[in-house]
Amino acid sequence: MTTATPERSPVPDVSGRLTVTRALSLLGGVPFLGWLLGGLAAVLAEYLFGLPLALALGLRRIPVLFGFEVMLKAPRYIPGTLVYLVLVYLIPAALVALATARVTDTLAARLLRSPALSMVVHLALLYASIHLWCGLSDYRYLVGRLALIAVMLTLSLNVVNGYMGEFSCSHPGFMALGAYTASVLTVLFFVEDDVFGAPLLPPALGPFFFPLALVAGGLVAALGALAVAIPSFRARGDYLGVITLAFTFVVKSLFENLEIVGGPRGFMNQPNWAGLPTVFAWTVVCIAVINNFVRSTLGKALNAVRDGEIAAEAMTVDTRRTKIVAFLFAAFWAGVAGGLFAHVVSYINPATFGVQKLAEVLAMVYFGGLNSVIGSIAGGLGLTLFSEALRPLEVWKWVIIPVLLVFVMANRPTGLIAFREFDVMKLLGPRRGRKEGSQNVSAQG
Amino acid sequence: MAYLLQHVVNALQWGSFYALIALGYSMVYSVLMLFNFAHGDIFMVGAYIGLFVATGLLALGSAGAVALPNWAVLVLTLILAMALTSVVGMLVERVGYRPLRRAPRASAALTGLMIGITFETLNLALLGAKRRSFPALIETTSYQVAGVSITNTKIMIVVISLLLMLALDQFVRRTKWGMAMRAMAVDIFVVPLMGVPINTMAALTFALGSGLAAVAGVFFGQAYPVLEPYMGMLVGWKAFVAAILGGRGSVLGAALAGFLLGFIEIFVAVVFPSTLRDLIAYSVILLILTFRPYGFFGEPYSARLRL
Amino acid sequence: MRRVFTALAVLAMAAALVSSGCAGRGAPPTIKIGVNAELTGDIPKVGESCKRAAQMWLADIEAAGGLEVGGKKYKVELFIEDNESKPESAAAAATKLITQDEVLAIVGPNASKVAIPAGEVCNNQKCPMISPWSTNPRTTKDRPWVFRACFLDDFQGPVVARFVTEEFNFTKAAVLYDVASDYPKGLAEFFKKAWEEIHGPGSVVAFESFVTKDRDFSAQLTKIIASGAEFLFTPQYYDEVPLILKQARELGFDKPVVGSDSWGSAELVKLAGPLSYGCFFSTHYAAAGAKGATKEFIDRFKAKYGEVPDDVAALTWDSMRIVEAAIKAAGKITGDLATDRKAVRDAMAAIKDFDGITGRMTFTEEGDPIKAAVIVKISNTGEFEFYKFVSPK
Repeated sequence: MTTATPERSPVPDVSGRLTVTRALSLLGGVPFLGWLLGGLAAVLAEYLFGLPLALALGLRRIPVLFGFEVMLKAPRYIPGTLVYLVLVYLIPAALVALATARVTDTLAARLLRSPALSMVVHLALLYASIHLWCGLSDYRYLVGRLALIAVMLTLSLNVVNGYMGEFSCSHPGFMALGAYTASVLTVLFFVEDDVFGAPLLPPALGPFFFPLALVAGGLVAALGALAVAIPSFRARGDYLGVITLAFTFVVKSLFENLEIVGGPRGFMNQPNWAGLPTVFAWTVVCIAVINNFVRSTLGKALNAVRDGEIAAEAMTVDTRRTKIVAFLFAAFWAGVAGGLFAHVVSYINPATFGVQKLAEVLAMVYFGGLNSVIGSIAGGLGLTLFSEALRPLEVWKWVIIPVLLVFVMANRPTGLIAFREFDVMKLLGPRRGRKEGSQNVSAQG
Repeated sequence: MAYLLQHVVNALQWGSFYALIALGYSMVYSVLMLFNFAHGDIFMVGAYIGLFVATGLLALGSAGAVALPNWAVLVLTLILAMALTSVVGMLVERVGYRPLRRAPRASAALTGLMIGITFETLNLALLGAKRRSFPALIETTSYQVAGVSITNTKIMIVVISLLLMLALDQFVRRTKWGMAMRAMAVDIFVVPLMGVPINTMAALTFALGSGLAAVAGVFFGQAYPVLEPYMGMLVGWKAFVAAILGGRGSVLGAALAGFLLGFIEIFVAVVFPSTLRDLIAYSVILLILTFRPYGFFGEPYSARLRL
Repeated sequence: MRRVFTALAVLAMAAALVSSGCAGRGAPPTIKIGVNAELTGDIPKVGESCKRAAQMWLADIEAAGGLEVGGKKYKVELFIEDNESKPESAAAAATKLITQDEVLAIVGPNASKVAIPAGEVCNNQKCPMISPWSTNPRTTKDRPWVFRACFLDDFQGPVVARFVTEEFNFTKAAVLYDVASDYPKGLAEFFKKAWEEIHGPGSVVAFESFVTKDRDFSAQLTKIIASGAEFLFTPQYYDEVPLILKQARELGFDKPVVGSDSWGSAELVKLAGPLSYGCFFSTHYAAAGAKGATKEFIDRFKAKYGEVPDDVAALTWDSMRIVEAAIKAAGKITGDLATDRKAVRDAMAAIKDFDGITGRMTFTEEGDPIKAAVIVKISNTGEFEFYKFVSPK
């Protein structure tokens, strides 16, 4: 574990002339808490002054996705949009983050004494920003939820493909199992539907049972994962890749033949319970659980299996148990993500869970970075938002994104942020005067 | 009996496409140890190149410049499509895969996927969404033999596919180049020390694989004459299945597995209701690989697998 | 620090001046129409036809100097979004059109798998939407804000069954369809039901399927031939039909082949050639021998894009014109989106006997049109000839 670089100027010095290097070193002194505050300030600024400012700059409305959707469609709005972005996001965020750096740094150090409290404070700030940001537009609200779900999918696939080093193609299948199970449960119990008839329970209870439906979806997906986990004892690498691909084809064909859930016509009427708080909460739980999992002994066993199965076996790693746990675990979270996805879109059909979805999820994992929780967060959020932002390019969007990915892979073959441990306590801690005590806390992580 | 034989004939034709595509896939896969997920789309590119060459040649003929008989057009189309698609294949290797030679193999797989999507969308963006029809270069005649109907195109496709497979097998086993390729499959890092130019060899491997994909593309155009940008997507994934089913390092195995895949798909549709085809066919493959985890002709997993 | 601020402020003011000058505010409000089309994904041709027809409609409006509503001319703007043929992307596109582009009404998506989620969004956000081509009953069911321009599977299936019975007196039918795609599957099932109602159970002797993107149908066709069926009904898209015809003929199937409105593209004849001559299919209109507005549309589309419009283009054209008629009938544009959208929806639901190029339409309670079907025969020169008129029961 490295300590904070000592040569960094510890005290924000605003009195002297500002130079670029100094500014950068100043920014490095801001703890995560400060950035969260800055982000909240930016979002607040947009909330309060966004619309009048946009109108004053000659824009028609607030640029929702960082201005991409405006600038790509009408180049004449580029100057206005850029100024808007600087005025609304950059300046308030940087100003607040810098101005409060001293306070937040002390606060972060204080908070770290009670890790749970620190988490709660950080999450609350983060959620507040996201909530305000998404609340400004229904479009953001939808895209934001889809992006969070993509993070869950990416992260769970990374457990198998990154940490365990297999090439699994079965994620669309797991997602389908979870999506259909959760949908059938909620529709059967809480919705008036022409296939399943009147609700069995009062719909008002629904939102409370929704987590149960999601967990059930995850469990069914995990059960399905046995079909690929057991062959993985003997088959490895490429052969396992084909087994998992066959699994995806089988699941898709299965749902095409299940008339009760609509066959290829799809299944609809899922109640609209997957709001932003729900999706956010599940994503946070997913990240926390997976992060703990990959940093546990079992997680290290995954890496051992990847780097040398025979050696791992020799060092008393139970490879079978490791593989089964990894697959079931990944499938569970893919299933939960699938259930959330079904309730966000309110419609699913088997064709959604085919090779196209597979290519998308794989792209997010490898783009973000193998063997890295932060990488998966970045990959899921980044690719979803980016592909949404490029929507105005129509057909060319799907030329630009893959070319960009080929470029990324050629330069960083394991992804943008690969093989990095996600140490939450280190992230939440102060930036200066890092003490031994805080490191001990983080080591327990 | 005739009914069953008819299905065998159908399966032979369908299987020969899987075999041809899997062959090219397996070429690259065996030598360089990478999933070339762009292969299905190289097959698409090959079919389109063949289409343009063939229509160009036919237009020349009808303009009176060089009137060629149709069989000559077919041969020329095949040769030109192979050559041009090989160039495309070598470009893909140079741009996409060479930088990744020491990277985890799965990363190269992603590059392949992305190159494939680029080809598909570029085709869509440049040529439009219209379907293209491949001109029939051979007058199709149906023969009725003992109640089984066979067309001359079917016979030609199956025979030429088999010949190409044998030729490739001989090439890999008998020639110096083939020996170098097999050596690369064993250890790509030691082979250069023996004086084998691995960059040239990798390019050659890709050229060969892509050339085979082009042959498959042109024949596909003859048998199923509707071309569209996404035609290689599913076929590519299925060739992946066939190549792996055959086993690593076995070119002939991949070809046989291609035929097997064709037979499984056709006969499942014959015996069971055809709606359940994918469900049963891929469950069978899942089971096969569960009990034969190295494919039919592959060697067991060894420590030299990277990643 | 202060200097940076001054610079930024100056920059901001300059930008504000420049862009507000360009935006030309103060002009009368424009009418914005959204198009949610499948430009990429597995059915790009559908999106392309839809986009082309919509742009042709816009060109007409622009040539007329705008859309006249309540005695005032308004500029019209089209917002075309790609839904990638993916449900989640279609929902995002619809949300973007409604909340960002602030369109008055949305035309599309076409395929049911994207029209259902997009319809959910439009209905919740209270924005009128009309799908040119979605045949799944659930697209419009219980959604007062969602309409469609095509007829449903449960109408077309029986139409074909009755036509074949009356025309040929056949009793044994075979069906070949794509099990993974909802339109062919729905139509195949409704046809089977109608046929067995007429001829008794078991009269559909072969009911065979394949999966989207399959190119080889020999196993299914061999089974169909062996079943002794008297004709083949295949409600497939026009790019699969030529392959089905070619393989069926090569395997020795010489009986009639009948199709549905998804055959209705000139591409079919181009791709299948003489193999398609003499086949029948049910559709909305016959291109050859078309009269009046229909003929005019076909000719103009052909002149503009170099191809005969397919059913998606024709239905999109009608959808655009239904939106236009509804806006006109609404009487005035208040500028308040919610009010205007409500007025357009009500006007659309009240449309009586709309004279479209694909037939005369009146919407039911559910927002589905009641219209007649036409049986078309592909002539020996590859023209789509009017053969018979089948009106709703």
